[in-house]
Amino acid sequence: MTIAARLTDVHKTYLAGSVTVPALKGINLEIDDGAFLSIAGPSGSGKTTVLNLLGALDTPSTGTIQIGGRTTEGLSPTTLADFRNTHLGFIFQTFNLIPVLTVRENVEFPLQLQGMSDKAERKTRVDAILGEVGLGDLAERRPLELSGGQQQRVAVARALVKGPTLVLADEPTANLDSGTAGEIMALMQSMNAKHGTTFVFSTHDPLVMKHATRLVRLRDGRIESDERVNGGRHDA
Amino acid sequence: MGAAMTPETIPGTLGPWATLRLGWRNLRRNRRRTWITATTVALAVLLVQAAMSLLIGIEQQSFNNLINYQTGHAKLYAAGYFENRDELPLEHALTDLSALEETVLSVGGVAAATPRIVFSAQLSNGVDQIACLGVGIDVTGSDTDVFRIPQTVVEGQYLRPSEEGLLLGSGLAELFGVSLGDWLTVLAKTQAGAYEAIDLEIVGVVGTGNPLIDQNSFLLPLEMARYILDMESGATELALRFATTANESATLQRLQGTFAESQEVEVKGWRDMEEDFMSLVKLKRVGQGIFLAIFVVLAVVGITNTILMAAFERTTEIGMMMAMGLRNAGIRRLFLAEGALTGLIGAAVGSVVGVAIIAYFAVQGIDISAMYGDMDIGYPVKDTIYPGMNVAVIVGSWLLTGVLAAIASLYPAARASRMQPVEALRHV
Repeated sequence: MTIAARLTDVHKTYLAGSVTVPALKGINLEIDDGAFLSIAGPSGSGKTTVLNLLGALDTPSTGTIQIGGRTTEGLSPTTLADFRNTHLGFIFQTFNLIPVLTVRENVEFPLQLQGMSDKAERKTRVDAILGEVGLGDLAERRPLELSGGQQQRVAVARALVKGPTLVLADEPTANLDSGTAGEIMALMQSMNAKHGTTFVFSTHDPLVMKHATRLVRLRDGRIESDERVNGGRHDA
Repeated sequence: MGAAMTPETIPGTLGPWATLRLGWRNLRRNRRRTWITATTVALAVLLVQAAMSLLIGIEQQSFNNLINYQTGHAKLYAAGYFENRDELPLEHALTDLSALEETVLSVGGVAAATPRIVFSAQLSNGVDQIACLGVGIDVTGSDTDVFRIPQTVVEGQYLRPSEEGLLLGSGLAELFGVSLGDWLTVLAKTQAGAYEAIDLEIVGVVGTGNPLIDQNSFLLPLEMARYILDMESGATELALRFATTANESATLQRLQGTFAESQEVEVKGWRDMEEDFMSLVKLKRVGQGIFLAIFVVLAVVGITNTILMAAFERTTEIGMMMAMGLRNAGIRRLFLAEGALTGLIGAAVGSVVGVAIIAYFAVQGIDISAMYGDMDIGYPVKDTIYPGMNVAVIVGSWLLTGVLAAIASLYPAARASRMQPVEALRHV
């Protein structure tokens, strides 16, 4: 099995004034290609920090991170931006859609950043992914005209439209009711199954965790447990 | 799903049109703030265009005034006259006027020529005596081919041939307290250096708006000037008017070329004659330009604040865009576009209103006599001034404001682009 991402002895500390606060204390984690992995743990356990490091949004204090076989250490901000552009998709807790763009334009945005100049090709890709997330008929709406669940579907479509190696979702259902949260998780699961895209998502909601095929629990910056669940394959 | 592209092939920024479109929509997020900022810019541009148009109008009217009443488009002088022109040296007079006229009128672009004698004189009403300029003009017809004096007669009438009378500048008439039918004594030195005096009747009063004429000059028939100065013939200058269709500088060059080899005659354009005034005009242009530029800069600085606020409000969104792979340069371009668009919109509004106001006053004119009376405003213009519409000024100030607005957005744009994505995403 190919490795989508690997964290090796990753430490991360933050400075809070003059005090050094350790957020991660030696994380070792291998994520197989096509995994549907949940990172769970209480607030302050380091979930978001792991996702930020996997997303090349932050750099470790020590240790190495490899994504798609490439280490992110020492890359310039521009190279990191290009790396995120080509390899990573993001789904945020608060959806983070661009309110002045339509659903179609929001989903199209990553393709424009990739320099896909062929409008027809962009439209085909956007129409296809919007159809898959069930928003084909809402393409011309603005985000504020959609429900929370619909907005998160747009975010899923935006994350997947460029065919990333890895999709990172930081508490993707935290702002949704339980019914809608289940729908979003089911959608992400189906995308994982259909496209083989690796998903890593953080949560502290047991109902969301049950969708994962691998569950990594963090506590105080360390991996507390790493287990195969729901018949999923244990990668570690 | 398509395969991921390699980093080497991607721009990492939006294209120009997509950047402008997103910038435009972002401006509409907080319309009231955008319009307040744009209105400040609009007022600044309106002021700049109005002031520039007024300056252009005053300058053009001043130039026309000089040409119509004082200098013509060019003058021929006897060699040695121009460098000593402050002394009005009668010994450097043109002699063979007919031949000179024939020569200059054969030069393409020259429409008319007329001889004049300018001399220093003392005018007296028996009580007061004032030093002033006497101007002998050819009233048989040729002076009116070059100059527009008859249109400036505010009292009485224009001179008639061989008339023993004079046209007096309106300011001088007021100073002397004289009116039509009164007599003034003209005292002048003849060409040979002897003093000659003669009494002449005031047949008309001229008001040109040109202080040199109105405050300091009187006009009399050329023959009368020759009689006073004891000159049998000749003139101190041959003034020329160019055809309305002629290119001024090209015609002047042709004229100067015609007399390039001459040892007796030199040709001077009206700008050469009025070099002090032209220097003053340039100085005023620079002064006003600096003042207006400061004004626009102050207005445009408001854009810096607006973009700073917009960037602060959208910190999380900037983080999200960075997460998706938008490079720092793309963030900068987006905010520069928003600043430039705000400037261009404001400047466009200011220009539309400005053009309407300028167009109205360009036709109706602005009566400055009510504001300034007889006060010298530094330009030879009279009563009503007409702003000059200049497309280059309108378009130039519009585009310049856009550029300045983009420059004003540099700091907030750079600040936004320097954010760390993880910090930006954490922003609440």
